[in-house]
Amino acid sequence: MSMLEIKDLHVSVGGKEILNGLNLSVGAGEVHAIMGPNGSGKSTLSYALAGRAGYEVTGGSIVYKGEDLTALPTDARAAKGIFLAMQYPVEIPGVTTINFLKTALNAQRRARGESDLDAVSVLRLVRGKAGTLKVPEEMLKRALNVGFSGGEKKRLEILQMALFEPSLAILDETDSGLDIDALKLVADGVNALRAPDRAMLVITHYQRLLNYIVPDRVHVLSAGRIIKEGGKELAHELEAKGYEQIIKDAA
Amino acid sequence: MTTRAASPNPFLEDFAAHAAELPGAGLPWLDARRADAIKLVRAQGIPHRRIEDWKYTDLRSALDGANDLGKVASETRLRNAVQQGYEVFEFKGDAPKWVVDSFGVIGIDGTMPAASLALASSTIALRIPSNAMAGKPLGYEFSGQARLLIVVEAGAAITLLETPMGGADSFSNAGIEIVLYEGARLDHIRTASNAASAIVVEDLTVRAAAGAQYRAHFMSTGAKLSRTELHVTLEGRNAESHVSGVSVLGDGRHADVTTHIVHAAPETRSTQLFKDIAGGHSRGVYQGKITVAEGADGSDSRQTAKGLLLGQRSEIDLKPELEIYADDVKCAHGAAVGDLDIESLFYLRSRGIPEAEARALLMRAFLGDAVDEIENEDIRASVWAKVEAALIEATEATP
Repeated sequence: MSMLEIKDLHVSVGGKEILNGLNLSVGAGEVHAIMGPNGSGKSTLSYALAGRAGYEVTGGSIVYKGEDLTALPTDARAAKGIFLAMQYPVEIPGVTTINFLKTALNAQRRARGESDLDAVSVLRLVRGKAGTLKVPEEMLKRALNVGFSGGEKKRLEILQMALFEPSLAILDETDSGLDIDALKLVADGVNALRAPDRAMLVITHYQRLLNYIVPDRVHVLSAGRIIKEGGKELAHELEAKGYEQIIKDAA
Repeated sequence: MTTRAASPNPFLEDFAAHAAELPGAGLPWLDARRADAIKLVRAQGIPHRRIEDWKYTDLRSALDGANDLGKVASETRLRNAVQQGYEVFEFKGDAPKWVVDSFGVIGIDGTMPAASLALASSTIALRIPSNAMAGKPLGYEFSGQARLLIVVEAGAAITLLETPMGGADSFSNAGIEIVLYEGARLDHIRTASNAASAIVVEDLTVRAAAGAQYRAHFMSTGAKLSRTELHVTLEGRNAESHVSGVSVLGDGRHADVTTHIVHAAPETRSTQLFKDIAGGHSRGVYQGKITVAEGADGSDSRQTAKGLLLGQRSEIDLKPELEIYADDVKCAHGAAVGDLDIESLFYLRSRGIPEAEARALLMRAFLGDAVDEIENEDIRASVWAKVEAALIEATEATP
């Protein structure tokens, strides 16, 4: 069964149609890559999946685990196991990272009818996941993402993914702003989370990330729809030929 | 002739009649100071919005129709027993020298402090003797026309918890004079949860000698009209003033905090950190003036004021003002008003935090650094509890 089934999706932002008739199917346990040039609608797709205000679904459907998501608010989607690792994680002064993690984890648990975890249990849980991602204790005490390097921000995104254990993880340009060592560390973190009951959607402009997170399927997004699909070798073809040629070939 | 000009100043009615009933009446020095004060009230009239300093706080309109405010019921009291060695003078019998030296001397600039001096029917003077260690915090509260003098002698330290009691439809006007001698330290926490229909005016005047420290936090949920005016003069080398505050306003509320810090001596330091959240139809005001006098070289002053608007009908006015007459000084100020950041809100919600909880988290984060200026952990926790309750009210007031 599909984890995620997107059919003929149309999304408008500020009255302008960005996605027009996007189809995509991702099965449990699979990792799919969405590749596309700037302006093709990659970020719009990730925000539409997360249910961000202002990203209006004007047609089609997003079905996740058999349920249409389009009317669900952002936080309810998160509680149902959808996680978006963002390209630009937001800095929030005045909220410590550990307090944020505890608040988010407990909000998700509450939405699922589970009881809150106390501070000690949350800290223990976070520590258990933080070591391999090189997120030191000191980072947890700092204000959320404030003054973090690009690598630290992305590691914290992956730490959240490990902590929330989503069924569907969307990674939006996770490679942007990372040097090769940071990229490897993040990719290792993501690979460790590959699981038979978890699907991942890796959104990226460049093929580079896909050397480390090897996808089962690759989709090429252009002007708001998927124009080509293939196996992992499609990413290499894109790298060799460039988007322009692939888009021309597909037309 | 306009109606307003024709209506008498409500502070002046019957002053002569009940001046003789005021505490300490008959003490020649006090009678003279009160007579001067009432002259000032008569000459200047009630502040209104065409006076620059009162632009955002039209007291005259708010008091329109009120009669004989000189006779409002008034109460000033200490909330707990004073530590041994402290001296309290309640204006019975002859005044000690420390009262004569300072009472009605420093905090008399303007109609409102002059009115509280001339009309307050309840009055307390408190002296903390030299080198007294800070013990348990001392609380005091007041309503009506009230007047206090607090003298902290050299090397002494004290924490004061101030609570105005602005009940429904009440008017209060407090004048508080604070004298800090060399190396003295006062931690002053004011928490104001007044009725929505109350009018609460307060004028605080502080003089700090060399090495003295004034640390204050003003927490307010506003009122029909609320004005807290602070004047600090750093008179001796190394004197410091660190003032922070938060105003969290629900529908129909107003809160104005106006500070004027004067660096009158070299190497003096001050900080002002104020955060306002305005919900519903409300108005928050912060006016912060810093003066660095000639010769106050090496002074350092920093001011930050920020406002967060929750609704279309909320308003926040921030007015920083610098006057520098010395060389080699450091002065920095910043002011900004905005809405809750939608990027932050989306980020939190994408992590499963429901909208209302995400908003509350961001509002607490916005206020955080100002409340956390309070050093005493218990007091800080109790201020946070009041802030939390006010945030719920401000949020609910905003559709």
